Amino acid sequence: MTNPCKFLTCLALSFFAPWLLLVVRPALQSQKLAPQAYVKDRDGLEGVYPGKGIYRQGQLVYAREGCTQCHTQMIRPSFAGVNDGWKKGWGSDQSAIPRDVVRASTPFDYIGEPVAPLGIQRNGPDLANVGYRFTDPDGKADRNGLHVQLYAPRAGKKWSIMPAYRNLYTVRKIEGHGSPGALKFPKGFSPGKGREVVPTPEANELVSYLLSLKKDAPVPGQVVAEAAKK
Amino acid sequence: METNPTAPSSDDSLRRAAIDRSVKWPVLFLFANAAMWLLAATLLGLLSSVKLYAPEFLDGKWTWWLNYGRLQPAHMNALIYGWAMQAGLGAAIWLVARRTGTVLQRGAGTLVTAGIFWNIGVTLGVVGIFSGAGTSLQWLEFPVWVWPLLLTAFLMIAWRLVGMFLAAPRSEGFQISTWYVIGACFWFPWIYLTANLFLNTWSLDAPLGAIGAGINGWYVNTLILLVFAPLGLGATYYFIPKITGQPIASTQLAVLGFWGLAIFGGWTGFQKYMGGPLPAWMPAVGGAAALLLVIPAAIVALNHHLTTAGQHGMIQTSPTLRFTFVGSFSFVIMCVVAALLGTFWFGATLQFTYAEYGFHLLAIYGFFSMSMFGAIYYIVPRLAGCEWLSARVIRQHFWYSVYGISTLVVCMLVGGLAQGESVNSPENWNLPFIGSIVNSRGYLIGRTLAWIFILWSNLWFFFHLMLMVFGLGRRSVQPTLLEVHHEEAPAAA
Repeated sequence: MTNPCKFLTCLALSFFAPWLLLVVRPALQSQKLAPQAYVKDRDGLEGVYPGKGIYRQGQLVYAREGCTQCHTQMIRPSFAGVNDGWKKGWGSDQSAIPRDVVRASTPFDYIGEPVAPLGIQRNGPDLANVGYRFTDPDGKADRNGLHVQLYAPRAGKKWSIMPAYRNLYTVRKIEGHGSPGALKFPKGFSPGKGREVVPTPEANELVSYLLSLKKDAPVPGQVVAEAAKK
Repeated sequence: METNPTAPSSDDSLRRAAIDRSVKWPVLFLFANAAMWLLAATLLGLLSSVKLYAPEFLDGKWTWWLNYGRLQPAHMNALIYGWAMQAGLGAAIWLVARRTGTVLQRGAGTLVTAGIFWNIGVTLGVVGIFSGAGTSLQWLEFPVWVWPLLLTAFLMIAWRLVGMFLAAPRSEGFQISTWYVIGACFWFPWIYLTANLFLNTWSLDAPLGAIGAGINGWYVNTLILLVFAPLGLGATYYFIPKITGQPIASTQLAVLGFWGLAIFGGWTGFQKYMGGPLPAWMPAVGGAAALLLVIPAAIVALNHHLTTAGQHGMIQTSPTLRFTFVGSFSFVIMCVVAALLGTFWFGATLQFTYAEYGFHLLAIYGFFSMSMFGAIYYIVPRLAGCEWLSARVIRQHFWYSVYGISTLVVCMLVGGLAQGESVNSPENWNLPFIGSIVNSRGYLIGRTLAWIFILWSNLWFFFHLMLMVFGLGRRSVQPTLLEVHHEEAPAAA
């Protein structure tokens, strides 16, 4: 291997194989991934899987603020003792002991996302299905609860290590009856006497994005199997 | 530190001096800026470690941009592109020039210009992350418009190095350290361009979905294994024979170790998302390659050990060999840790925990930076024309770095296990999330302590290096050795 050209060729060849097989080919294939239609007779469902996508505009705020540093969006399967799916609140069932395991994430769940924010660390809870976590008692999306969590994470949970994203909110003097969009805080937390906290457009987009995270649509062909377990 | 048993002829010395003079400014420029970025990255690492258990820390009215989501990527990117890549490039220029016997006739200015552009790129990138233009892609968090600048600057330097390599007279003999350095110069543009084109450019029109995250994991691991590992090993393979005065123990082992790394290095990374929404073979291949990489790592370690055999006492006296020894030793540990993280038994528990950060810092600091410190302690006196001012300062730098990085790696691996047992283990499925935060808190305080040590050690390193760059070192013909009084034992070393 004293010939430098031969050396460079070998360098190129040794790297070309993983580059082609692990990066280029799967990347090209992943672009062919298309939503699948449910079969009414088999699945008992109509429409397409994975259904409604994410709110992309808010994902940009999610990326900008570095949420992936601490939050994953990936439910792992329950084989070999790995079962994220049972964690309290990580699926659509918000009870303390969920009845069914949350299904593992599939490539279809991330169709249309430029790069899926699967996450760097899991210092905070998984967010794959966080859209279910913030709901009113009457089942409606709880935007206020999510805003409070973003503005003052320790207002409810004293032990939380989540940073406060105060840059996404404006604190101002209450005028008249106050702004309609102002945050309602739990007892024991106040932004200051005579002051209110109003979300910026970015905050609203981030919240819309988080509420759109419901990555547990039934997989075509597995619906019956899941229903049988119930 | 020139310790060849046969005294070099004056012709040789003159030739070396000419080479050193010709690359003086590019190399010193890169080292000085790298040291500055190291200090900045260390400070950011300290702050971000505190944020993990005290998020209110420094969370004032005007410092909201210092929250963990921006601080941590700024810290890692400053460390990787500001310090590690820059120090690696500086050492690479000197190593290739020396090893190929090239006196740089012209073009030193181009290399300095490339260095300036690199620094502008990193500065814009870090400021971009803080001001909210980050991309959230691991180790590619710089705003999307930064990468062409960094790539161009890198190519301006790598181009010269490959040119030197191709033009070198073949009489220079076996060149394992040049191989490694040229390998890194060759792989980095390829890896960096691929990752940026796919993840930052094309993905907007042709969404990648989950595969994109996998490619990101691939980028991180190949950067460690095919850029930092070869740059670091290029330096260790040069300095161990140089200091001990013994030739590389086995050419065959060296060749085997090199091609082992080249062949397996490109396959890892997807194992970060094992059990995730990727085709199962991809994490499996990544984990298997990480496991197989232990073989070339062990071969390199054996070769380094045999090359040092009988001269281990010199680790006491030579700053270069001391740092290089720790770097070489960390390389094996790093490959073992990578293999463990890639297996299902450990990986399933340690996935997404602090253990990954521990592994990254073991690679970037424990292995790569320590090798680079060794190189810098050897190279800079030859360029600056003066000797390191104080052996005591070097000792401070060495010991606090070692204390710091070992504390950090142990805390993060064990802390990762504590965190993973709470959040990932099937036995604890019904426990509330608070458990993982409470269980890992102690280790996070250890992480802060480790960064304080590393900050302390690098403060000394920075000032020491700056004095050298400005030519304010010791005027002496005797190198600064650690355990020997200079008056008593001169050249014996």
